[in-house]
Order: sequence, then structure tokens, then C-alpha cells
Amino acid sequence: MFSSHVSGRLRAAVAIGAVTALAAAGCSSDKSSKSGKDSAKGGDSPITIGLITALSGSNKALGPDHLNGFKLYLQTHGNKLGGHTVNLDVGDEADGGAAAVPVANKMLKEDKVLAIAGIVATPTINAVVPLATAAGVPVVNTGGRPTVKDPSHLWTMSFMSTDPGGAMGPYLAQNAGGPVYAFGPDYQGGWDQLRGFTDSFAKAGGTLANDGGKPTFTPFPATTDFTPFLSKVKASGAKAIYSFYTGSSAIAFVKNWSQSDAKDIPLYAAGFITEGGALKAEGQAANGIITSMNYSPDISSAANREFVSAWTQAHDGDQPPATAMYSWDAASVLDQAILKAGPDPTPQKVNDAIKALGQINSPRGTWQLSPDTHVPVQKWYLRKVEMDGTALANVKIGDLATIGS
Amino acid sequence: MDALNAHLVPAVDGVAYGLLLFVAAAGLTLLFGIGGVLNIAHGTLFALGGYLAASVSDGSWSSAVLGLAVAVAGGTAGGAVLAAGTLPLAGRGHLPQALRTFGLALVGGDILSTVYGGDEHPVKVPGSVNGMVHFFGHVYPTYRLMFIAVAAALAVAGSVVLGRTRAGALLRATADDRAMVGAMGYAPWRVHTALCAAAGALAGLAGGLGAPIIGPGPDTADKVLMLSMVVIVLGRPGSVLGAFLAAIAVGEIETLGVSISSDWAPFLLFGMMAVALAGRTFRSSGVADGVAAAPGEAPA
Repeated sequence: MFSSHVSGRLRAAVAIGAVTALAAAGCSSDKSSKSGKDSAKGGDSPITIGLITALSGSNKALGPDHLNGFKLYLQTHGNKLGGHTVNLDVGDEADGGAAAVPVANKMLKEDKVLAIAGIVATPTINAVVPLATAAGVPVVNTGGRPTVKDPSHLWTMSFMSTDPGGAMGPYLAQNAGGPVYAFGPDYQGGWDQLRGFTDSFAKAGGTLANDGGKPTFTPFPATTDFTPFLSKVKASGAKAIYSFYTGSSAIAFVKNWSQSDAKDIPLYAAGFITEGGALKAEGQAANGIITSMNYSPDISSAANREFVSAWTQAHDGDQPPATAMYSWDAASVLDQAILKAGPDPTPQKVNDAIKALGQINSPRGTWQLSPDTHVPVQKWYLRKVEMDGTALANVKIGDLATIGS
Repeated sequence: MDALNAHLVPAVDGVAYGLLLFVAAAGLTLLFGIGGVLNIAHGTLFALGGYLAASVSDGSWSSAVLGLAVAVAGGTAGGAVLAAGTLPLAGRGHLPQALRTFGLALVGGDILSTVYGGDEHPVKVPGSVNGMVHFFGHVYPTYRLMFIAVAAALAVAGSVVLGRTRAGALLRATADDRAMVGAMGYAPWRVHTALCAAAGALAGLAGGLGAPIIGPGPDTADKVLMLSMVVIVLGRPGSVLGAFLAAIAVGEIETLGVSISSDWAPFLLFGMMAVALAGRTFRSSGVADGVAAAPGEAPA
């Protein structure tokens, strides 16, 4: 009932938009040949952008950041991408995977979206990207990125799962001052994250302090008490701990670590362990944790100041999480690509334009999409949790490598 | 001695974790074992207690106590909702009850995540128990040590109420013969409502006490329900002592067991549960054979 009402209105809007565009094209046909850019700005035919994110289900905590990052870009840019007024078509991927298929089909077949942004869970990528690719519609992905067979229409704003550990490995091999104890959750994402770390760490000459020289994988999501795992760290002679945890596991791990025999052994981790709500719930227990991340809210650049001030104003003074920045970048990439695609953007033209974007100026710094994997080639930062004013924050303390393939 | 030293912290932690499971499972075992209600919304009541206590407590002792009171009140109210929902299903077996309480759990879970957001809720404990205690060259969180004392007191109080008071006797009588209790002048719906409310209060209290250790967050309800189910199945429904022993065993398996053989960590709990259930089935079928054989032997 509700959806048919919306799509009715949408059809009307698209029809009006089409008529306006035709009229504009008729009036300015001689001008547009002189300057394509002007006509793209002038001829404002509304476009529909699909945004798939987790508004319910197990990833509900992440969805709002993705949605709000994208919306914030639209709000601060006159609700236009590439000069066209945007009709944002939001869909819920719920628990991910098959649940997102009807949502994506409606966007592709009924709503005729120009592009799909968002997507939190990797199973959703596997379910949605083949449909979008068949329809020739680009997917600008802001969440996790699995390996896909055909990335021709998939553009990732975040990173490859192996990158956070890949950036930290060489640094710890040189600076830990001895063997490192590695922990991760026992599922595909945890294996990828830890493999990124152990490969680059071993290559740079580092050794693991774990039994058997392999990372310790804790049962996921069943582990609520990490105390027995942490009780082995001190006796192993480790000089540092490296870990990858997110959500409630991250909170339990950090709290247990801060009150264990291992509390004096420095904790290094992939950045998510102290992102957003996790840092708030961990509180002082997280003080001093050092992480690797492709973003820190205190990066000094005009692009970042614009983003951070817009976000903090809209969110009670809270610092923006990295996921919101990926989504802001998704809107920014679409903005530039749609502008490049000319006055009558089609999904295929937008996809080609994304491919040709080159350097992207972003709150995280300048980065570009890898021509092979379509994942960012970007700089990674070393951050430390410290008091910043009245609240704990991830403060940038140095640069790590620029990676991406 | 070295081995003892290496596993000392996990062994102590096993007691704390086991007692947490006991307190968490108490409401479920009471309602299932005595009231005959299979309450799938039990974890949601635990999460409700956790959220309420965490949002009231600001790090002072008075707010912590107030938070626990609010958690108990919230759990009791939730239990009353359960009572109203399950009363019309009395006498229709466990499946309709399980479905109804499952539905209530879904609705309740969604309300909680709408009110408190999808993130884990920060929990503040009073400063004097927020630190660590040093013993034998190790450190251990003070809150968990205090939790061991509080939960042990609760276990004693629970068995006294159930075993030595008139209300407890009435509950045990209800479990044995519901019709007879009705004939004594206690309306079944009153007993049902009181049981649901008491189980809700226990779940809320457990959520409030356990919040600094588990949750409260969007996946707290599922975790607590699953672990409570393991405890009551191992400890036999309705038995306080059984639940207590099962909870301590599960706690030690999850801590000391993991510490001794971390490679087996993913399989330890459910592996042990399978062994225990198989052993029990084998034993009880052996007893049944013995009983069946007895009359046959008599003439010989």
C-alpha cells in the first residue's frame, strides 16, 4: 500500500522530470553544444539513487552511520549530485544476503535507480552486485568488501579486509620490541583481518608469541569472556597484543584486557575496536589503545574540517565514525561521476565515469580506486585513544603505509 | 605448581562466570520447572534489566542500588506481560507458549533497540569496585569478586525461600499437583501471574547485576537465553541445586577448560553437554529396565 503510493509519486516525479529535461534540451540545444558542463548544471532532471543499508537485524547499529553520512553530503550540497536533484530511495538489507534481493530488484526494475550506494554486510554484496551488474547499474559500496568474481560495477569506499592488519604488521615488527600475541574472532572476516596482519608482520621479520606461532581465534559470536584467553599472554613473553574485534566482542575484549594480567602489555588493533559506540561503552578501559585506520577525525585538511564540522553539528558534538565518512565519500564520488556523465546520465555512463575519476579528494586525504579490484589505494594512519577535551577520542599519532591493490 | 599458577585466574573467573549464569538462568528454571512455561523471552527480560540499570547508574552507590531496583521493577512488569500473554494458553503444551513468548521476545527486542539504539550501552559501576584486586601475583576485576559474593548470597536466599517458606512450599506443590493447589483455594491464574512476575523480577535483577559483565546490547538477549537453556537442561528444570552445579560447571568449562585447551574452545561447552545428556539418557534407560525387570523376576 505504502510502497505503491510512493512509486506512484515517483513515477509522476520521473515523468515531470523527463518533460522538464526535454523542454530544457529543446530550449538550450544550441547552448549545450558549446558547454556541456553548463547544461548539466542548468538542466536539472531529478535522479533516483538507491541506498541499501541495515535498518533492522544484526547490523542495525551500523546502518544509521551509513545513511547519515550520505544524507549529510546531500544536505550540505543542496540535495544535488552532479547538478541533478536527488530522490533518495532507501532500502533495508536487514540481516543481509537474500533479504536484500527484493529490495535491490525493486530499485533496479521499478524505481530505475541511477546507482546503488551503501551495503553494510558482505553477504549482501554477493547477493546484490550480480543483479546490479546484469542491469548495468554501479554499486558504490560503503561497508565490508568480499572477493567478487566480476567487480566491473562494484566500487568500494572502505578497504579490503586484509588492509588494516597489512598496514599495522610492518610497524609492529619494527616497534613492538619483541614477539606479538595476536587475537581474532573465528569467522571469515576475522581470518582475513588476521591474515593481513600476520603476512605483512612476518615479512617484516616479526614473530608471534602465540602457542605454535599462529594467531588465537576465539569462538564467534559465543565468546563473552576473554579472560581465559588473555591469561596466557603475560607468560608467553609477548611485548604487544594485536587484535581485530568489532561490536560487543570489541567491548568485552577491551574491558577484560584492561583488568587482566596483560593490562601492562600494549594493545594494538584494527581501528574498529574503538570506533563510535564501542569506544563510548569501553570508556576509560580503552585509554591508550593504538589502532590502524584509514581515517581519523583530527586529520588536518579543508575537506575533513568541512565534513567533521557538519557531522558534529548534526550529532550532538559526537565525532564522525569512519563508516559515515565512507558514505560521505560515496556521495562525493557519485557527485563527480554524475557531473562527468553529462546532462543525461545513464547508469552505464556513471559507471564509466567512476572508473575515470582518478584522484579523489576526501576527508581521509587523497585516494584513488584501484583499476583492478575497485578498492581504495589509500594511506593508513596510526591512532591512539586519548582524552580530547572532555571525551576519549581516536587521535592521529602518525602515518602508516599507503596500501591497496 | 606452575600449572596451578597459570590457571588460577581462569579458575576463579569460572566461579564468577558460573554464578552469573546461575543468576541469569534462575528465572528461566523457576518458570519452566515449576510454572511449566517455556519462556523464550527470558533473555529479553535480562536485557531489559541491564538497559534499565545501566541508564540509571551514574557511578555512585546510591544510583547503582536504584538502578537494580528499577531493573527488578522493569523485569516484574515484563513478567506480568508474559503472564497475560501465556495465561490463555494454559494446558495447551509448550509449543504455543514457546511461540507466543518468542513473538513477545521479538517485539520486546525491537522496542529495546529502538529506545536504546543499536549500540552496546555503556555501563558505569561504582568507582570503589571498578578497579582490580591483586592476589598471588595476578590481578582480577574487583566487580567480579563482589559479584561472586552477591550471587552466592542470592543462591542461598533462593533455596531458603523455595525450601523453607510457605510461599516456596506452595510453589513446589504447584509443580507437583496444580489441581490440588487450586482445590486448596489458590486461583490458578494468581499462581501463574505470581510465578511469571517472580521469574521476570529474577531476570531483571540478573540483567542489572550482570550488565558490567555481559551487555547490555542488541545481542545480549540471545546470548543469555542460549546459555540459560544449557544450564537448565544440564541442571534439570526446576532444581535450584541442579542449576547451581550446572552453572558452575559450564562456567569452569568456558574459562578453565578454554585456558587448558584453547584449541578445543569452540567445542568444549556443547561437547560436554552432549556427553552429559548421553550419559543421563543411558543411566535413566538403565533404571527403567531395572524397574521393568523387577516384577518379572518375582515369580522365579
